[in-house]
Amino acid sequence: MALTSKQVPQTLETAGAEPDTVHWQLQRRVRRWRKYVPIALGVTLIVLMCVVAIMAPVLAPFNPSAQSSEYVLKGPGPGGHHLLGTDEYGRDLLSRIIWGTRVSLQVGLVSVLVGFGLGVPSGLMAGFLGGTTETAIMRLTDMLMAFPTLLLALLIVTALGGSLVNEILAIGVALTPHFVRLAHSLALTTKTHDYIMAARALGGSSLRIMLRHIFPNTISTLLVVATLYIATAIRTEAGLSFLGLGVLPPTPSWGNILSEGRQYIKDCPWLTTFSGLAIMLAVLAFNLMGDALRDVLDPRLRGE
Amino acid sequence: MQQWRAVGDERLLQYVVRRLFVTIPMLLGTMSLVFFAMHVLPGDPCMAMLGDQATGQALNDCTHQLGLDRPLLVQYGDYLWQSLHFNFGYSLLNRYPVTTYILQMLPYTLVLVLASTVVAIGIGLPTGMLSAVQRRNPLIDYTARVIALLGLSMPVFWFGILLLIVFSLHWDLFPLIGGGDLSTVVEMIGSGEVFVYPGDFLAAVFDVLHHLALPALALGFTLAATVSRVARSTMLEVLNQDYIRTARAKGLRERAIVYKHALRNVMIPLLTIIGLFVALAMTGTVLTETVFTRPGLGKMLVDAIEARDYPLAQGAITVFTMIIVTVNLIVDVLYAAFDPRVAYK
Repeated sequence: MALTSKQVPQTLETAGAEPDTVHWQLQRRVRRWRKYVPIALGVTLIVLMCVVAIMAPVLAPFNPSAQSSEYVLKGPGPGGHHLLGTDEYGRDLLSRIIWGTRVSLQVGLVSVLVGFGLGVPSGLMAGFLGGTTETAIMRLTDMLMAFPTLLLALLIVTALGGSLVNEILAIGVALTPHFVRLAHSLALTTKTHDYIMAARALGGSSLRIMLRHIFPNTISTLLVVATLYIATAIRTEAGLSFLGLGVLPPTPSWGNILSEGRQYIKDCPWLTTFSGLAIMLAVLAFNLMGDALRDVLDPRLRGE
Repeated sequence: MQQWRAVGDERLLQYVVRRLFVTIPMLLGTMSLVFFAMHVLPGDPCMAMLGDQATGQALNDCTHQLGLDRPLLVQYGDYLWQSLHFNFGYSLLNRYPVTTYILQMLPYTLVLVLASTVVAIGIGLPTGMLSAVQRRNPLIDYTARVIALLGLSMPVFWFGILLLIVFSLHWDLFPLIGGGDLSTVVEMIGSGEVFVYPGDFLAAVFDVLHHLALPALALGFTLAATVSRVARSTMLEVLNQDYIRTARAKGLRERAIVYKHALRNVMIPLLTIIGLFVALAMTGTVLTETVFTRPGLGKMLVDAIEARDYPLAQGAITVFTMIIVTVNLIVDVLYAAFDPRVAYK
């Protein structure tokens, strides 16, 4: 019997006791707020990135391309002239990373826009219209899907030559088949709904139904996936720059800072460490944001 | 019963044939894409090879010798025909047959993909399963999810460099560059010398593994995230099935339920991501091999692009896509064989 009395829920037994109530309330509050930690972290990081990218000229303590023979490969330190140290040409690493944020964000956002703009209309059309249109679009998509994103981007960038615009185009095109596939499957499920039939019965044209009914009903899922693809785009950009196929030096991008620092990993590990950290935080931010958006907008995708 | 099986086999065969009919145009399409992308390149390979000082005559000779003065369609047809015979021409830089080059590099890449798969499954499967089974335990679930998120967000080339800084430079435990003596291992196995000099063989194998450890860890860890996520969601799905409830109702211990009933059923859906996984791993090798200065197809591709050696780059990308398309074909067929419902769709 003694055992059963111990099994009585603590909360009931100790409801009156002051310290336990506080503890219990705290626990409940922690539990309630815990699920907001990832999204808070993601949003904070993204806002921070945007501010840094926009304010780069103000925030960067030095010109990112200014060379100084006095300060070649100086280590980081709060007391020194350069907070995160300098590279082989004496350029300030912090300023380069700050300016690099611009490249990463630009490529991340614009290439996803390109992929979205090319992929979603084609996918919706394929799914909604069916027939030959569907076969043609989906076969082409399957073909492009055979290339992993980085490999396809690599191929396009090689063909076009490295520059910011080409990199954005390459990554955008490389992401397109993924958007086509998703939009296609979403259109297929959406078009079976009764309200689509109703819209058709009212004489709505295919274009109108796609624009006014199918697209708005798929937008939340598409947005979630687009956010996650920003992370992919930033990672791919860093990969291309790392391979020397991205933005041309001396324009700083996180990938080429990392790649240049690779020769000095023995004596100057800060070059690769900080630039890599920036890449990871950016990718992490959009991954967190995407996951959180999915939980809010489209719980079905959660896989639970 | 016998009759049903025959019908099933026939369906499977039909499915395989249908799947093959999709694969062939797909392969043709990807190869065409590679060809045309490489041929609109702004750089002139002869100019790259001979330098700015080359005379017009020398450039013309070079272009003619490489067959680049032929009509594009003729070159295209030639490329397709030769690729079917696994003949990708000669490297522009050292006139070495591209196929020989690729065959030399392929084992390094395959070993890396295999080893990182082992790492990815070793890390991803337990963390994914554990976080599904223990999802009520925030400590375990959160730790597993943080590991998965880190793996997903950490670029392989950065993680690789961090590993190099700590384990190769600081502690001097692993080599900084190279892929080990894999060719000796392959040769010894081929010639049967394994049994004559087992000591030498083991030394060579150790050397290969020594060089492989860090790259496999770097690539494997970043891939583990994918495995972990799929394992977690599949496990959650399986745990909701009726047969798990039946097992629970029978009074089985949780351990028996997870290991005997759930684990086996998780494996089949996991098969489907092998195609995606191989594609990710193959791309990963491009970056991993570059970071670790390790010989392999990926490193070869990057070097070839840098040198504008386009038969070599073309060959490498073609082989990459061939591997990915073939693996996807095999996975689909295996899946249809395991799960007859697929073939009937």
